[in-house]
Amino acid sequence: MFWHNFKYAFKTLIKSKELVFWTLAFPFILAVLFNLAFARLHDYDVFEPFNIAIVDDENFQENVFYRAAFNSVGTAGDEQLFNIQYVDKDEAESLLENDKIEGFVYIADAEAHVKIKTNGTNQTVLKTATEQISQYVTMADDMAEDKSFISRAKVLESIAKVEPNIKEESKVMNVVVIEFYTLIAMACMQGAMLSVELTNRCLPNLSNRGKRVATAPTRKSTMLVSSLAAGYVMLFVSLMFLILFMHFILGVEFGNNIGFILLLAAVGGLTAMMLGMLLSVTFKTNEAVKNVIVVIVTMVGCLFAGMFGGMKIYFDNLCPWFNRVSPAGLITDGFYSLYYYEDPSRYFINLFSLLAVALIFFALSVRNLRKARYDSI
Amino acid sequence: MTVSKAFWKIALKNIGTIIMYTVILVMFGTMNMSASNSSISYEAKKPAIVIFNNDENVGMTKNFTDYLAKNAEIKTGYIDDDHLKDALFYEDVILVVEIPKYFHQDITFGRNPEVKIRASSGYSAELAKVVVKRYLSTAVAYAKMNLSEEELAGKISATLEKETHVEIASKVDTAKYSKATRYFSFANYTILACVITIICLIMISFNRLQIRKRNLVSSIDIEKMNRVLLRNCCIYAIGVWLFYLALGLIVLGADVLISAYGLIYALNSLIFCACATTIAFLISQLVANQNAVNGLMNVVALGSSFLCGAFVPAEYLPDSVLAFAHILPSYYYIDNNNRVMNLESFDFQSLWPIILNALIMIAYIAVFIIATNIISKKRQKIA
Repeated sequence: MFWHNFKYAFKTLIKSKELVFWTLAFPFILAVLFNLAFARLHDYDVFEPFNIAIVDDENFQENVFYRAAFNSVGTAGDEQLFNIQYVDKDEAESLLENDKIEGFVYIADAEAHVKIKTNGTNQTVLKTATEQISQYVTMADDMAEDKSFISRAKVLESIAKVEPNIKEESKVMNVVVIEFYTLIAMACMQGAMLSVELTNRCLPNLSNRGKRVATAPTRKSTMLVSSLAAGYVMLFVSLMFLILFMHFILGVEFGNNIGFILLLAAVGGLTAMMLGMLLSVTFKTNEAVKNVIVVIVTMVGCLFAGMFGGMKIYFDNLCPWFNRVSPAGLITDGFYSLYYYEDPSRYFINLFSLLAVALIFFALSVRNLRKARYDSI
Repeated sequence: MTVSKAFWKIALKNIGTIIMYTVILVMFGTMNMSASNSSISYEAKKPAIVIFNNDENVGMTKNFTDYLAKNAEIKTGYIDDDHLKDALFYEDVILVVEIPKYFHQDITFGRNPEVKIRASSGYSAELAKVVVKRYLSTAVAYAKMNLSEEELAGKISATLEKETHVEIASKVDTAKYSKATRYFSFANYTILACVITIICLIMISFNRLQIRKRNLVSSIDIEKMNRVLLRNCCIYAIGVWLFYLALGLIVLGADVLISAYGLIYALNSLIFCACATTIAFLISQLVANQNAVNGLMNVVALGSSFLCGAFVPAEYLPDSVLAFAHILPSYYYIDNNNRVMNLESFDFQSLWPIILNALIMIAYIAVFIIATNIISKKRQKIA
């Protein structure tokens, strides 16, 4: 009977357009949208020289050090920061007004001044670089034994060669991956919707099919478990395809342990199925309202886990316990720990927490199911 | 009157779902806006730095930590390394600087001590590294002059205090309105989701085959009925709009919203609300199933929000995506929000691009109404 019902439950699921859309199509559509929207966001971390202008007037021509310094940061090569246009002040103003440049530099009273239109990253880089050049010139003036041009130039050259002893131990990371991890969490949570539908079919007070199941001479637990198993298989296959699609087509990094990745997706899906069953047996209302509750639990969980712009830290400070019990938060953090941490202990904490949450949902569902008694339907 | 009554009767029947959806989506937008978003905002600000000082905080070490405190936001309270690693990943902390033991002596005697750093990724991290590198380069260079620790600290401070004068051409405080732009741009999703879900929920009840047949044989003209329904949908949409504006007043403050800028933001969102209403009206004619509406709503609302810059600012979107976004009304709505932020004056020339975008949105409204009427008439024949 188990396999018989499993087969038909599976067949009816894949024939349900709405469920196929939510569990199969929707996460893929979102993954593509995420990829389109966030692709350049990460590329922004790769520095590209940007356009600035320098007011090429008498003051600039007289100041050999500024000329040499800007020439070095404006020449193609590893140290290039800017694409520089040397123009008069009116033209620089006009270029700035028409957004052709990010800002311009002019020399007045032997000091470099920067003019920008609005604040921004490139403007900060321009200000920082100009400030550094000014500080080097000041140091050269200060350190030169005499104030002759040759002596200052020598000092400036030696300052430019100074290499502070900085040891960088940073890890290469991409915060955008969190968006994709929350998306997998969301796809797992769609399992709750499948579970609501499948459990409703077995409950006599919620559907006609449930009434037939209740009067049929079969074990109700077999009917329910086989239906949920069919939903779970469908969910897990769709999750597997989603992860493969993200990794191989969209290039999302997950770490190297494919077994752990799939195990987390499997446990995430299971937790969502248990949540759906709990909602279905607890709320004696129609399926649409239950689905709204699933959507709310999913979206709030994903938002707190970092979806739509990496706000996890903000919400962690606001409500530190939430992501430790929310299935979406635990799934996202599990994928994050596989990607970011070498030690798998955090991954296992998330995995076992998820299992514990699933167990609680299951226990509550069974308790509510066992309480149900019907004098008449 | 009968149509209006039926409309609000159905709305009242679903009042729980309506309130739940509207409140959740609007709160969702508000929370998103309130949260600081380091990964998609590149405004110039002091980097958040954590210092691990293994040396005594005296002499050159104190000079270094004072310099960092002046040029960065010093963060504390990270209980363990995992906590710090998370903060670096999520860019809550941009740089971790570990000052070695005997740093102050080593710097004074020109020994170039090793300073360990850990940085997050991105521009802010690069700029934070420049802050540290600049201090150490200056210190190492001056240390060659064989100065006393006090003299050395004085020279470094004097040099590094030299700041470049920055003149900002724009007279508008863009920071003040950037929050408002983000709030109203996110409304693209909130408005579309709230309006489409609820209007379709009500309209689908009217479009059920049996109900439609009953309406068709009744004395009421179908176009008149559509007009009445559209009017009631507009009243609901205005309710959503007013709710969002009221929340905006709390989140953004009265000084931002009760101003000429606020008026343009509000009018722009009102036009978009009307556009969303006509989109919802059109979808309700095309789809007969509530679950299908939910799917379509998510594709339309999320798709347009991602592609037009509601979640990620338009300047960070690939050019090809932005080129495609031009066919969506959301693009013109979000573009207007971005333009308002940089508006310097309110003369016709400055306002013209905003008016043009508004006219394009109104043209979309007309197209959606015409399309709805055509489809409605076709369905009338089929029925």
